[in-house]
Parts: sequence; structure tokens; C-alpha cells
Amino acid sequence: MAEPMTTPLRHHSAIDPENVKFLPVSGKLITARFIESGASGLFWLALAAIPLILRLTGVWASYPGWLAWLVPAVVLIAVLWTLALIPRQVRAIGYAERDDDLLIRRGILFHRVMVVPYGRMQYVDVTMGPLERMLGLSSIHLHTASPGTNAILNGLPAPEAARLREQLTARGEAKLAGL
Amino acid sequence: MSDLRQVPVFTTDGPADWHRVHPISPLVRGWLAVVAVMFIFGRNSLEGAFGGPHGFDPSRTPVMIILAILGAAVIVFGISFFLSWRFTRYQVTDTHVHINTGVIFRQQRRANIDRVQAIDVVQPLLARIFGLAELKFEVADGGKSAMKLSFLKLDEAKRLRAAILARAAGVVIDPASPQLVVEAHEQPILAVPPGRIVASVLFSSMSATFLFILLGILGLILWTGQLGIVVGLIPFFLAMGAAYWRRITGDMNFKVALSPDGVRLHYGMLETRAQTIPPGRVQAVGIHQGLIWRLFGWYRVHVNVAGYGTGGSENGGRTVLLPVGGLPDVMAVLALVFPDPGVDNPLEVFTAGLRGPGNREGFTHSPRQAVWIDPLAWRYNAYRATSTALLTRRGFFSRYLDVVPHERTQSLSLHQGPLMHALGLVDFELHSTLGPIKPVVHHMALAAGLKLFDEQAARAATARRIHPDRPWALPQPLGDLATDELRTKEQNGGD
Repeated sequence: MAEPMTTPLRHHSAIDPENVKFLPVSGKLITARFIESGASGLFWLALAAIPLILRLTGVWASYPGWLAWLVPAVVLIAVLWTLALIPRQVRAIGYAERDDDLLIRRGILFHRVMVVPYGRMQYVDVTMGPLERMLGLSSIHLHTASPGTNAILNGLPAPEAARLREQLTARGEAKLAGL
Repeated sequence: MSDLRQVPVFTTDGPADWHRVHPISPLVRGWLAVVAVMFIFGRNSLEGAFGGPHGFDPSRTPVMIILAILGAAVIVFGISFFLSWRFTRYQVTDTHVHINTGVIFRQQRRANIDRVQAIDVVQPLLARIFGLAELKFEVADGGKSAMKLSFLKLDEAKRLRAAILARAAGVVIDPASPQLVVEAHEQPILAVPPGRIVASVLFSSMSATFLFILLGILGLILWTGQLGIVVGLIPFFLAMGAAYWRRITGDMNFKVALSPDGVRLHYGMLETRAQTIPPGRVQAVGIHQGLIWRLFGWYRVHVNVAGYGTGGSENGGRTVLLPVGGLPDVMAVLALVFPDPGVDNPLEVFTAGLRGPGNREGFTHSPRQAVWIDPLAWRYNAYRATSTALLTRRGFFSRYLDVVPHERTQSLSLHQGPLMHALGLVDFELHSTLGPIKPVVHHMALAAGLKLFDEQAARAATARRIHPDRPWALPQPLGDLATDELRTKEQNGGD
């Protein structure tokens, strides 16, 4: 709750609707994503480094030296690039509650803005993984009758997720329309 | 029940009335299993008898074995079929349909009648011989599969369909006895001639692919000089023949009719199907024209209906509203599922939507800079919002026009990649329920995309408020009042 949830999102893209103040998700999501991406990055790096280790220990001396160094180097750059992008990506995630619908935006290079009307929501999922629980975060997933509605908000502080869920279900009931 | 057969009426059930399906329906459903089991066991034991260590023994053993197998099969299948029949019960009350099935694992399903999205009466070939039919209805109560009643006498299936639809529509015939229901009469709208069905399948993209493969094979034979290649390709030819057969027999005798309960589609040669889509259950309409069909001016019309799914092969093309038809036929079926297009000159607008290119009839196509991403189709990718629906057009070779009523919009999104960002373009996506139609406007001008995104969200919200989810049996034609209200609202709002 240390995150100031009322400050609007700083990041702005060309396709954001005008006069909408997007709220950011928690900065702790950066930590969570760092841990996730870091762990998987280490795994791939270790996998890519196997030939190099075999060569250095002399088990597989015939393996070409340049390839042994190149593959882990490429993987390392890719991992570092992914990690470097995370803070900006997380800061680009935003949501805004309007009178009739919820807006969700994300992406820096590939922008996406989605609007989900309250009256169209079939149900709302709130989930919390082990890593999220440690950091006090929740994810919220909005479902409509359409499989195209891919409305997931990760990294909400747990109390904010609970408030949003209550708010969404209350508004959904008030505005519920048939299919 | 016998006295009901004379008059087409049906009384809904009380909480204590339960009915059973037709006694021979387990056999109709499971005949393939019976035949397969008999064949395997029969062949094994006959082989055993004939191929024994002493050769063929012409004593009475094989006859005994066959009789024993027959007897065992009759008993086993008879008992299981009897139990499965005995434990299947159904009930249609004023508000719900209940179906109880299962001998060991019991299942009780209940469907809310006012949630019914569509009803099918299906007659597979064997069921048709016995005069039976399967009643299948989609409820969209949270993504569960359709509920089925198989099999009933055809008249009974039709009566049940009428009862469920009349309840969903909120029709009360006689206030003194509200449980009474009469089947609604249907009025034929159009029938697709058999010749056109055959021609449409022959001149389809499937044939084009087939022709290409055939030419390749011919080239291979000429090159190698070996005719033996053809023998290896017999399975391929058989599969092709089966695909043609399935498509032609599936769409044969396609008829569209209108009843007060909704649009009714009849089709099929061997297995016949009668689909009923109540008014307001169509989520989106898509009109498609392939390259070859352009020569004939033919179109194919699909619909999104909750519960129909994507119309893949196992669903047997249930999402087809018109398998093939010219522009007048397309307009006729559109008028059924979509009575108010929201414009004064629907023919001109839809023609512009189907043919393109350019900005005629209120369509807005991609801006000039989109030519860098979309050199051929940029003047075809276009949209137009009428007072009742959003029309989106796309495709250069194969053309698509998708129509989504505003009140059926689920959610919207805008997408933009780096290249589109540099050119000031944006993709607009409209999400409908699961089905073959996924409306999208490619490469719109940024300002137009933002405007459409905002306006469409507002239009959908307004349309939802004006179209409450209520039974559709109204004294006036469907939805006229509601859409007039929307029109005046839009005029007062002023653009």
C-alpha cells in the first residue's frame, strides 16, 4: 500500500483515449517479474553454457571455440535485454475505471488498449501465486462471453485487487445485460 | 399423450411429471458399437473354428458358437440399453428444462428456458428411418456444452421445441390455461437450388487446391513417366471424394424460413437438421466471398451464436446462415437476423461493404500511408457505423464484411506496433462471442481509430440500456421501438 495508487500513469502512448487518467499497477510487480525472468534466464544461460563447460574441462575439446562462446553470449544479451525492459513494461501497464467500462492499457513498442464494459462481464477471477503472495500482489482476470477479451491485470496490491473485484461485480450486477 | 397427437398443442409439465425418451433410442445411438462388437467377436470365433489345428470341422460347433455370441450380445446390449433408457428422464416446466441421465454416474442438468440461445432438431439417417429426432439446445449458461434429448418422435421433438421457444418468448395463448402452447407456423423465405449447391462446392477454394495438386501429380507423371504414382494416391482421391460428398450432402436442400420463434434453417440430405435461432440471439453476421465466387456473384453468410462454437468440422457447419447465394438472397437473410440495419438505403450500403473499394456510402478506408503495409487491400479495409451496427470490410482477394449490432458488442481493443506507430496507424478489434466471425479493422488512421474506439464504447453502452434482456414476443415487429428510440437519442445528441 506504499504505492501511491492515485497518481496517474506517466507513460503515454498515441493510442490512449484522451482525458482518461490511467492508474498504474504496483511497483513491486517489477521485483516479481525480475525474479521470474531472472530465474528462467539463468536456466537458459546454464543450458547454453553446457558445451562451453565441456570444452573448458577438456571433455569435448573438438567443439569449436567461437561457437562455445557465442551461444551463451547471445543468450546473456537476450536475458539482459528482457530484464532491462521490465521496469518500463510494468510502468506502461495501466487501468482506468469509467462510468460504463474498464480500460486496460499495456505495452511500449506494441501498444494495446482494451475496453471491457461492466455489463458484459460474466465473472471476475482474482488469483495469487506464491511469488505474488510474498510480495502482497494479486492478479485480476475479467471474463466476458468472448474469448477475444484477454483482460488480465497483474501486480495489483492485494487490497486494491479486492476493492476492484467488489467494485467490478457491483457495477456488473447493476449494468448486466443479456448476451 | 396419444390425444395430443391430433392437435399441435403442448402443456408444460408440473414438478412431478417426467417423460422418457423413445425406447429404441439407445439402439439408434449405439448401433455402431453393436455392429463393431458383433463383427470383431464373430470374426475371431469364426477364424478360431475354421482355422483350428484340424482344419475346418463341419460339425455343429460354429453354429453353437454363433448362437451363443448372438445370445450374449443380445442380453448384454439389451440390459445396458434398457437401463440407459430407464434412467433417462426429462421434464419441461414453465421456466426450466430438466434432463436426468446416467445409470452409475447420474447426471442431472437443468437449463433456464429464458437463456436458450438456439434449438436444433437433428435427424441422423437411422433415426430418420425410425421417424425419430434429437432435440439439442444451447443455453449459454457459462460455457457448458449443449443439452441433448435423443431420441424423440419427430412430432414430440417439434412440440417440445415449440414449447421451449414459446416459453422463452413469453407467449401466453390462453390466459385461462397458461400451460397451453401451440406450435408457431413458419413462412418460407428462400430455398437454395441443388444445382447451385453442387456448383458452389465445385467452384470453391477446395477445388482450386485440388486442381493444383492434380496438376503437380500430372507434371510428376510426365516427368518420371511412371503411371504407378496414381495408385499410391488412391487414398488421397478417396478423401477428396469424401470431402465433396460431405459438403454437398450437408448443404443440400438448404431452406430458410421465418417463424415467430425465430429464423429456422432446414438442411441436409441424409442427416437432416432444423435449426431455430430466436430473434436477438445472433451475435454477429459475416458475409464472405472467395476469389472464384466473385465470377458468379455468390456469397456465404455465417453467424456467431453463443454455444454454436467456431463452426469447425465436428460442428458440421452449424454457423452457416446461407451456404451460397446472390446479393438478393444475402439481403433477404440479413433482413431476418438483423431487421433494422440503421440506414435508409441498406442495399447500397451493404453493396459498398461487400464490393469496395473506396469511401462510398459512408465507409472510411485506411489512409494513404497504409499502402506501405497493405499495398493491395488498403482501400478495401474499411468500416462504417450505422445507428444500429458496426460494419467492417476487409480483404482484397477474398472479401469479408462483418456486421455486429451495437448491443452485442462484448469488448473492444486497439493495437499498434512500431511500424504502425511510425505511420500513424492503428488496428481496431471488436470482440464477439466464440464463432467464425472476428471483426477487425486493419490499419485505420490514428485519429479515426481513437474516435471509433470511444464512440463504439459509448454506442454499445447506450444500445445495451435500450435493449434489455427480455422475452421477444412483442405486439409490434421486433425491436422497432427500441431502435427508433436510439435514433432519436443519437439525433438529439448531435454529432
